[in-house]
Parts: sequence; structure tokens; C-alpha cells
Amino acid sequence: MATAEIDVPVEALPTLEQANDDISRPIYSPSWRYYLLLAICGLGILAGGAAWLNQIRNGIGMAGINNPVSWGVYIVTFVFWVGIAHSGTLISAVLYLVRSGWRTTINRAAEAMTIFAVMTAGLFPLIHLGRVWYFYYLVPYPSTRLIWPNFRSPLVWDMFAIGTYFTISLVFWYLGLIPDLAILRDKFTGVKKKIYGTFALGWQGSVKDWSHYRRLYLYLAGIATPLVLSVHSVVSWDFAMGIVPGWHSTIFAPYFVAGAIFSGIAMVITIMIPLRWAFGLEKYITKYHFDNMSKLLLFTSLIVGYAYALEFFLAWWVNDPVEKESFAWRATGYYALPFWIMVFCNVVVPMSLWFKRTRNNLAALFAVTIFVNIGMWYERFVIIVTSLAHEFEPGGWGIYVPTTTEILILIGSFAWFFFWFLLFSRTLPVISIAEVKEHLAHEHEHGH
Amino acid sequence: MNNGDTHRNGNGVSLPTVNGGTGSPGDTSRRDFLKVLGVAGAGAAAASCGPPDMGDKLIPYLVPPEDIVPGTNVSYATILTEAGGPEPLGIHATVRDGRVIKLEGNPRFPNGGRLSALAQSALQDLYDPDRIQGPRIRDGSEFTETDWDAAIAALAGAISPGRTVLLTSPRTGSAAEFYSAWAEEVGAEWIAWEPLGYEALSAAHEIAFGVPGMPQYEINQADRIVSFGADFLGSWLSPVEFAARYNEARRIESGRHAKFTVVGPRLSLTGLNADEWIAARPGTEAAIALALAGAVARVRGGAAANRLTGPLARFTPEAVAETSGIAAERIVRLADDLAAAERPIVLPPDVSGQNAAATETHLAVALLNFACGAIGTTVRPGEGPVRGESASAAQMRALVGRMEAGAIDTIVVAGANPVYGLPKAMGFSAAFAGIENRISLNCHMDETAAACDLLLPSNHELESWGDAEIRPGIWAVAQPVMQPVFDTRQREDVLLAATAVGGDTPFESPDWKSWLETSWRASFEEASEGQANFDDFWFVMLQAGAVRRAQSEVDPNPPLSAAGADLSFRLPEPAEGLTLTTYAPAQFYDGRGANRSWMQELPDAVTKAVWNSWVEIHPETAAPLGLETGDLVEVRTSAGSVTAAAFLYEGIRPDTIAIPIGQGHTEFGRSAKSRGVNALDLLDGAVDPQSGALAFSGVPAELTAVGERGRLVILQGNDTDLDREIGELLPIDDALEAIGGHRVDLRQILETAWDSDPKSPYRWGMAIDLNACTGCGACVTACYAENNIPTVGEDLCHQGREMSWMQIMRYFEETEDGGFQTVRVPVLCQHCGDAPCEPVCPVYAAYHNPEGLNAQVYNRCVGTRYCANNCPYKVRRFNWFTYEQPYPMNLQLNPDVTVRQTGVMEKCTFCVQRINRAKLDAKDQGRHVQDGEIQTACMQTCPTQAIVFGNLKDPESAVSRVAKGARAYRMLDELNTRPAITYLAGVSHAALAEGGHGSHGDEQHDETGGSADDHGSADEAGH
Repeated sequence: MATAEIDVPVEALPTLEQANDDISRPIYSPSWRYYLLLAICGLGILAGGAAWLNQIRNGIGMAGINNPVSWGVYIVTFVFWVGIAHSGTLISAVLYLVRSGWRTTINRAAEAMTIFAVMTAGLFPLIHLGRVWYFYYLVPYPSTRLIWPNFRSPLVWDMFAIGTYFTISLVFWYLGLIPDLAILRDKFTGVKKKIYGTFALGWQGSVKDWSHYRRLYLYLAGIATPLVLSVHSVVSWDFAMGIVPGWHSTIFAPYFVAGAIFSGIAMVITIMIPLRWAFGLEKYITKYHFDNMSKLLLFTSLIVGYAYALEFFLAWWVNDPVEKESFAWRATGYYALPFWIMVFCNVVVPMSLWFKRTRNNLAALFAVTIFVNIGMWYERFVIIVTSLAHEFEPGGWGIYVPTTTEILILIGSFAWFFFWFLLFSRTLPVISIAEVKEHLAHEHEHGH
Repeated sequence: MNNGDTHRNGNGVSLPTVNGGTGSPGDTSRRDFLKVLGVAGAGAAAASCGPPDMGDKLIPYLVPPEDIVPGTNVSYATILTEAGGPEPLGIHATVRDGRVIKLEGNPRFPNGGRLSALAQSALQDLYDPDRIQGPRIRDGSEFTETDWDAAIAALAGAISPGRTVLLTSPRTGSAAEFYSAWAEEVGAEWIAWEPLGYEALSAAHEIAFGVPGMPQYEINQADRIVSFGADFLGSWLSPVEFAARYNEARRIESGRHAKFTVVGPRLSLTGLNADEWIAARPGTEAAIALALAGAVARVRGGAAANRLTGPLARFTPEAVAETSGIAAERIVRLADDLAAAERPIVLPPDVSGQNAAATETHLAVALLNFACGAIGTTVRPGEGPVRGESASAAQMRALVGRMEAGAIDTIVVAGANPVYGLPKAMGFSAAFAGIENRISLNCHMDETAAACDLLLPSNHELESWGDAEIRPGIWAVAQPVMQPVFDTRQREDVLLAATAVGGDTPFESPDWKSWLETSWRASFEEASEGQANFDDFWFVMLQAGAVRRAQSEVDPNPPLSAAGADLSFRLPEPAEGLTLTTYAPAQFYDGRGANRSWMQELPDAVTKAVWNSWVEIHPETAAPLGLETGDLVEVRTSAGSVTAAAFLYEGIRPDTIAIPIGQGHTEFGRSAKSRGVNALDLLDGAVDPQSGALAFSGVPAELTAVGERGRLVILQGNDTDLDREIGELLPIDDALEAIGGHRVDLRQILETAWDSDPKSPYRWGMAIDLNACTGCGACVTACYAENNIPTVGEDLCHQGREMSWMQIMRYFEETEDGGFQTVRVPVLCQHCGDAPCEPVCPVYAAYHNPEGLNAQVYNRCVGTRYCANNCPYKVRRFNWFTYEQPYPMNLQLNPDVTVRQTGVMEKCTFCVQRINRAKLDAKDQGRHVQDGEIQTACMQTCPTQAIVFGNLKDPESAVSRVAKGARAYRMLDELNTRPAITYLAGVSHAALAEGGHGSHGDEQHDETGGSADDHGSADEAGH
């Protein structure tokens, strides 16, 4: 166990009882600040929702998308949120399987983030539809006209990939919650006890319980792990299966997966730093955790940077004039600014993480992850929009500029995401109490 | 069907004749005879219910006529004399259940069954919601409704003998007789006037040959074509006919391809088709023509030489080179070309080259034609279109003088719009405001109608009876194809009624229709000597549309008029510095097209801009001012100034700027009003002393940068195709060598199950000849009309949301001498055999039908737009909103085509409704669809027949044969999309730069900082 590296003396470690209280404290005492944040998010949702309703009423033309650039902010944001959804499964399942103990204090929040991110992402294909009231045409239901979806279409694959991912993530998250729900059940009285008790499924913490629980958890981790690769691979195929220059490339699946992990980790850090401060969880989420996540961020940044370079190299190497023009324009044309924002945020800024000083300075780290979040949104923007704007037929080239409706819905999506996360943070333990106690018990027993 | 028949006699009309024509429908097939109904059908339509019920009756008949089956189309032959462009056009109006839904050309007319974009859009003129909807009388600044009797009484009361002017557009035929008889009867003066007159051309031919009127230009016979700037494929004289003739002269398969040279300061739609541009200084066209005439006469010798070499001696190429800026050897080379050609033709300038020496310029061109030996062969004086008497600008100025002097009490305007069409400097509108009785019989609420006090709106010409003399001796008849949309009346009936107020009409005929019939009956009975039945004749004639009423008495080969021809040219020195030229764009002509959204949204052939005005400026002129396309510039002349967006254009001389005519309306309706600038306001009103024609060009102008971005919406992303096998041009030598050759293309031969169901007898396909495409846009507008395509307006065009299913890309290609050529490429759905759009649709809305059509199921479409992303041709169009058609525009909608709602993808269907109709007909008769039976709307209207449609599985079909030709290629073929459309490369006489498919457009693209590829290239807000 790597916990030996924790920079905390044993006597400073909280007791098991303290851990119970520390972690579940936020559930008792929401402050006015919490309600303020919740209200702000609520307003954001209202604004985004109103923009969407207005768009349904008047037509999808309220967005700025047009003839050559048929996909814009909605699909960009969809891919962005699917990407954010990645770290949850990675941290909880993959790191669990490889026995990386440092996941313990962050996996709960990361998994919650995954679920809320998928819930956010899942809205965008609907928002994006020209006739959202016929969304069920995409679902293989027994239609009287005997028409099924077109299984050749990557959009259908996409729907299944994301549906599967959401289901597994939700089950996995819920399973991990069961022992903690039982703790909460035992701490509360009245209605809350009933609710937590219902969801705790009669958990008693017996050896038999634990034995079944650990086995199921392992199996689910095994099932979830391939999804880390599959979801974003399939999302990338929405693009790679198209013939659009700038999309039609075999590097897309690994490129997107790396990008998704990159953005997911960044978002985990972005959320954990204020969360740790607000809930006073410094004892549980330590610099050690952030250091490890920073290293992962740096590593994925290198992959992403390599992919950027490779795209240009391939355009040059293949020597296809259309592809070459498309990439040259991407870096120098109308959308050069988004492109260079992307490069700066995703490749240049994370290089500061080579230095331990940056990794251990939470303010600096927070700043880096904000850059990465922005950069990863722009990455999707650059891939989607610049490719569509300059395709094969030069006469058909055109420019896309987002509208207020799209910006409001984009803001609304963040509000929606954080709204759920805020609710989560005050109703469920943001750190897995059971797992933390397991570690603490281990530490107390063995010391250094 | 009336396809493919370009067979034409001298003046391009194939007709029954008055004296021999009774009961003989000429070459009318039985099919046509049934299809094209005559008076019976129209009469039935007119007898049905009243105008206010137009909208809410599915089938607007009280008593359905026997010969009309609800839900089927019938056609009526009639003519467009006003709404269709400069020339009278024979049309077949397709009428469904009492409403006209489509116009197609009448094959018996000079327009050969084809129509221009402007003529296609005449439907929008008819259904214009901004038309005057009933009689109105002024009440302060507004108009209030009145009834017809009161309005007619007011009209009758306002006419004071000797002090009344009746102002109309030029009329021919019975209408001319009527107006002059009416004016004489009531003591009014009849003045016919049109803004873009042809008086200088007529005057010059009268001087030269003693034959006034329009010459007939047999461009089809020419083997060398030189034009001094006339936009004869777009807006000059008879463009639809000329386009077909021009194409005939350049149909490479026939082994000839007349080289085409343009001399003048600017390249118009026509100019972009030229093989060579001699960029002469504006105002020096006459001198160059004279130098050429002298040189040609010297080479050819004979009578022309005897007559011309003396007077033209001072116009040596060297002398002319100095003023014109064209090297002497270039002039000599062109002269040699003309002298060596067997049947050359030289075309004069249009208004864009009409300066204060207009008649001398036309005379110079006429002499050049004479020197070349073209007179009597390719140019036949006096045999061209009959245009009717038209007052010149000088005469209109005299009228203004009389108006100002108080000599006129009443002006009755009936079909003219002088408040808009005369330059402000001529003072018409100011003088008009001082007239006591201003009465309008105009159809539309144009500037002149809006300045009147009493409005008696006339029927649209599609709702009217009438006739016109379209060629000397050939008369065409107009019949109403539907009952009036609004509470309007036949113009002539209103005038007749005004004479009958308070007593009996002094005329024999109580109404216009009987006047018309009486006139025809007289001439018929004279010709047939009472042998035949007039009613039979009249019926047949209405179906045919036109007849030869008298033999032409024009001398086909007139000598150079010795007495009349004063050959001592006193050419004025061309103006120094920057000069302005105005020109008539094909989509607006003189401004009459401006309130039709189809025309506003039709990309201009040169600039590809929509919904606005612009100033064409050469990049060299723009550079010192720091101008880019889209920047606002102010153009100032002695008459005034306008501010519009700049368009940087290498097809204009650096010392010239050009502004299109037709925009800048202050009234006229929602599409036209307050849009762009009126170029006529910049004209100082100078006239040519000989003919009185207005100077539209050579106006000294100043250009200043405003320092702001304007908004010029350009619907073409880039000016070159970057050598991507989209618009291909072949050098003439290669093309000639390749005639009759075949392209071996296994992919084309091996039809696969990808392309269509092997069991289906059809795979629909198309071939488009880029050598024939002039870029006129008629196909685009026909497609709008046929397929219920909405227009979206300037803002949405700016956002890249235009709905046109086909777009004509105009691509520049560089030539070796640093100049450029263009190739015009109609881009529409390619109906790919292996279509990238189909597999990506998650709901099977885009699917491949068994006949190879790439179908789009609107009901199934949920609007993911993945198909549009994956279409390499970028031809899919998405309904970003539901576009409503304001009443009565919705009456024009084709009932055979779904009207789409928001959130649905659409695109070219190959006119699947026409395919299905033909298949049903064929099924009824137990056979397969025959080749040529289906004509898509674009193919039907194409003046040059550049488009061929048919069954690719039939090796003998026209499309299969064309698609195997040596010039054939498929767009972006390397993507293996297996398109059903084959393009035939354009052919050019110019030396094309090696592999250098245009850095020309690239430069422009770079200059504008990547904004030339922007749909709204010129808007700051868009960036």
C-alpha cells in the first residue's frame, strides 16, 4: 500500500469515530452559502431551460449553427461532458483493480461527478435535435411501422455506449454507497433514517455482507473498466466515421480517450480543491492525492499534445490536399484563436506540472485545471467546428458563431451539473467513509 | 414533352399562321394539345367564385369545368411582357385547381421553352402580398379603400383634354393601338417609356442602314463572337433566346466553338463566360470598334472597304491604343480574327456602356458588323424583337419641363415607374408631386403609385388579356391563367370604363377582351378571306400562344445607307480619373425584380452576393484606400452620393467602379423597400444628343472609404475550387481532340447494388455541361418555384441558412497571361450511389431508394444534421425555422411537394414528384418511362440546355450517352461516392495556367483575412 507516503504522522490521523463525523458533518449543517450556491445554480438552470424552451418553440435556428457547420456548441459541450464523465470510472474501477490505494478519498466524488456529467451530456443530443419531440425515433422500440434505428449510424452506437456507461456507473456508485448509507441510517432518526435505511438495503456490516459486497464490487469494477475505453472511443467515432477532413482519422479513439481522462481528472481536481476546503476534509484529501492526480494530468496532457502534433503530421504525411488545407486553416484561419487557446491550455500550461512545487501548490494546481477545462472545451470546438467549416467543396465553406441561446444553454449545463453535485454533497458522504475507515484502521494498526 | 427541340427558323419562332393556320395546331402533338388548354379553361376559371375566397377554397370552382380534373395540372399558353425581363416571353403557365403554380417556357417562342430566373419569379410578382389589393384613394399620408365605380368616376373626372398624360411602358400589338386610340379620344397624350431603353441601338441602325428597330442577332450562326459589353446572356434585349443561340455557337460536340471576346471596362454575367477580355477604358468602345472596322475593311476589301476606309482612316489602332489603354497589336489581332472569321458577330454595349455618345458607339459597332460582313447574315437589321415606341430620357426631360411649367393637370400612370426609374437629377419626382391629379393604374405599390392620389390597381399580366408583337409580323396573345388574386381589374377595361362614365363609351368594343377579339377577327378575316371559322382559329391560337399575323417586310440585307450615314464621328474624350458605370443585373433588370424574394436571394452571377447593393472595385483601386470586400464606401458624383459595401473584383478596370441597378427602392414592398442603394441616383441625367438615351456610364465619380464594415452577404465560400475536381476547364484544343472520344470508367459501367436495386429498371441520373452553363441562375429559381423552397432573408443568409437546393458556384481559374477564366458549376445533390449521408442517419430519414435516388423522408427526420456534415458537396439544407409564406404567396406552393417544417433536413430530390407522375403515366399505359419524358424543373428551364436528366440504366438514354463523353468527370470522384451526376468540363480558348487553378481567388481570400470564405464575409458582427 502506497499510503506509506502520506505525509501525516500517525497521531494526527483521525479516529474512526472522527472520520464518521468529519465526513458526514456537511449532511447535518448546510450553511447559507450552500443555499446561495444552490440558488445560483437554480437560476442558471432556469436560464438554460428557458433558452431551450424558446429554441423548441421557435426552431433550432435560435442556435448559430448553419449549413456547413451543422454541429456547434451543443455537440461540443456534449463531448466535453462525456469527457468529464471519464475520470469517475477510471478512478474507481481501474485504480481499484490495480490496487492504487490513493483513490479511496476521491472515488466517491469522482463517481458522482461521472454520473452528473453523463446526465448533463445526455441532455445535449436532445437539445441539439431539430425535432426533439420525435427523439424516440432513435430508440429501438416496437414501432407499428416496423422501423428500427439505423444501426449503421454512429449516433445510435453513441446512444448505446453512453446508456451502458451511465447504467454501470450508477450501479457501481450505488454499490459503493451502501455501507455509508447504513452509517447514515444509524446516525439519523425519523424520516431521514427511513430514507437512508431503505437505500441501505438492510446492510448490517456482517462478514457475510462484506464478503458479498467486495466480490460484487470487484466484478463491477471489471465490467466498468472496458467502458473507460469504449465510451469515448464510440463518441470519437461520431466523428471518425464521417468523411469530414479533420475527423476521418484512425487516431481518434485513443486521442479522445486520453483527452477524456485528461479533462475528467482536471475536473476532479477543480471540484476537490474547493470541496476539501469547504468541508474541512484536509485530513482525508491530502497533497498526496493531488500530487498523484497531477501526475496523471501531466501524463494525459502529453498524450493529448502528441495527438495534436500527430494530426498535423498525418495531414502532411498523407499529403491529401483537402486535409492539408483543412489543418493549415485550423491553425491560421478564422478559428486560429480557439486553436491556439486549445494548445496553450492543454499542452503548454500543464507542463508546469513537471514541477513538484506546482503540484503541491493547490492554488496553482487549481488554476492549471481551470485552464485544462477551458482548453478541453475548445479542443472539441476546434475539432468539430473548424473541420466542418472547411470541407471538400470550397464554395460551401462557411463560418459559425455561437448565439446567446447556445451560451445560455452552455451556462445552464454547468449550473445543472453543479446543482446535482451540490445536492449530492449535502445528502451523501463525499468520501467513502467505509473505505477511509478501512485505511485508517490499517494505519492505526501498522503505523509507518 | 417539349424538350430538346431547338429547331428554329430565322427569328426563332415556329408557329401556325393566321392565313393558313385554322384548325392546324402546327407541330403540336396530341399530348400538348390536351395539356395546353385554351380559352375554355381560362374562361371557366374566370367564371368561378370571387376574389376574397381565393385562400380558403381547396378547389375554387362553383361549377367545375368539364375539362379540368381536380388535382391535376393544366397549362395555359400566354406571354409575359412586363414581369419576365427585357423581352416578351412565351410561357406555359401550370395551373392547379385554379391557381398558377409554375411557369415554363413555350417552346414555340424565341425563348424556346426556356425561361430566365426573372421570368420564373413572375409568380412572386403575381402573388406579391404587397400588391395594391383594390381601388384606393389618398387620405392624408395614407390610402383608404374606395369602390371601383367611385374610383373610375374620379379617373374620368380628372382627365382634362390637352392637359393629360397617359404614361405606360412600351406597348406593341393591339395594346399600342388601344392606348393611342384612347388617348386620342380623351384628348390625352400617350407616352410610353422604359428605364433601360434601346433607343440608341435603334437610332444607330436607322442611321447606318435606314432600318430602325432592333436587329436580330443570330449568335448561333457565328464562328467568332465579340461583344462590347452587352450582357446578352443576362439582361440585354432577349437573354433567354441569346443564351440558347450562344450555346449553339459553342456546342463543342458539333465541332465548333466560337471564340468569345469581350471589350469593355467590366465583366458582367456574360463577360465571365468570355474566353478573352480586352479591358478597354470606359467610353472608348466606339473608337475601338471603329479601329477594328477600319482594319477589318482593309483586310477584307470590297464594298465595305470602299465605303469605310476613308472616313475611318483616323481611327488607326495606334491612335486608338492611346486613349483606350489597349495595345495596338491587340486591336490588330482582334481585327485579323474578325476578318478571318466566316460568320463573325459583334454585339454592342448595353446600358453599362451607354454614355453620352451612345448612338455613335452603336453606330461604330454597326459599322464593324458591316465591315465584317455580318450584316444580313449574323446580324439582321430590323428583324429583332419589336419593342414598341419608347420615350427617350431626353423626351422625359421635356415632359418634366412641361410638368414644371404647369402645362399638365393630370398624369395617369399605367405600368411605368418613372419616380424610381428616372435619375433624381432629372427632377421627375419633384415635378410629379406638383401635378394636380396623379392617378396610378399600376399593379404594384411602387414609388410612382405611392406618389399618386388615386390608385386603380390593374390585374397582373398573368390575370390579363392582351397581345404583343414580339417579332416583326409575329403576334403573341396573352390570356388570363387564373382569376385575379386581389380586387383588381384589367387596365384597359378601367380606361374604357372611364370613357363611359356619364354616357356611352365612344368605342365600339365595350371591354378590352372584345376589343382584342375584334382586332384579331379583322386581321383574320382579311387573311383567310372569310374561308375559315374565327372561333376555331382563336382557340388554336390561344393554345399555340402566337401566330404570324403579317409577313415581315424587312430587307434582310440592307446596304449601308449612303445618304443617312454620317461617318464623321465626333467622339468625346473619355472622362479622366475614376468613372462610375451602372448595369442591369439579370435578377432585377431595371428594378422590377426587387420585390421578389427569389430574386433577392438568387446569388448575383458575378459577386454571388444577395439581398443588397455593392460597389465593384478593382483590388488595385481598393488597396490605397485599405478596402476589403464588405467595407463601406461612399461613391459621390455630381448628382449625389450613395454608401454601399465594396466588392473587390478583378473583372473591372482599376479606373472604373460599377453599381448594379435595381435596388434602393423607397416603396414597392417588403423585399425591396429600403434595401441597398439606387444607382440611378448617381446619374447626372446627361443624355446622348442623337437618340436622347440616358448616359448610364462614364460618370466621373469619387470613391471614399467610410471606415466601417458593411454587410454584404456572399453565398459562395471561396472563389476557387483549389483544383479539387469540382469545376473543371479544358483548353479548347484538348476539347476538340476529345470530341467523339469515350472515357473508360469501369465504375460507371459496372452499376452496382449500391447505386440502385438491380431489379429496378431505372437509376436516375443527370449530366451537366459546364461548357453550356452561363451561370444565369434560371435553374435555381425554377427549383424554388417547383419545390416550395422558402427564402429566408438577408439575416439568415448571412448566418449561412439559405435553402436553395442548387447553387451555382462561380470558380476562377488563372490563365497564363495572369488573367482569369471562370467556370460556373451548378452544385446540387449528387444522388450518390454510395452516399455518405445515408449510413450516418440514425433514423433512416436519409435512405437510398431502389431507383438510385438519395431520398429524404421528412416525416422521419429528427434533425441530427449528421447527414449534412457528412455530405462532401454541402448540398443539404436544414430548416432552422418554419418558414411561413405570407398570403397569397402560399397559393403558389406546389401541392405535389411537401412543405417542410422546422427541424427537418431537405435537399434536391431530382424532382421526385415529376418522376412519380411520369411513372404513373407509364404504368397506366403499361410501359416503362421513356427517355426525355421526365424533365426536372432545372433542366426544363435551362436556356442553354446544360442539364440532361434520365435513366442511367438505359444505355441509349441521352444522359447515359452524355455521361460517357470525353469531357465527363464526377465531382470529388476520389471519395468514391459514385455520384449520379456527371459534369462535362467547361471549354475555354484561353491558355490556362498549368495546374494553377486559381491563385486568383486565393489572393482575394487571403487579402480579406480569411473572410472571403465567410458566408457573411463582410459583417463585423459575424466575426
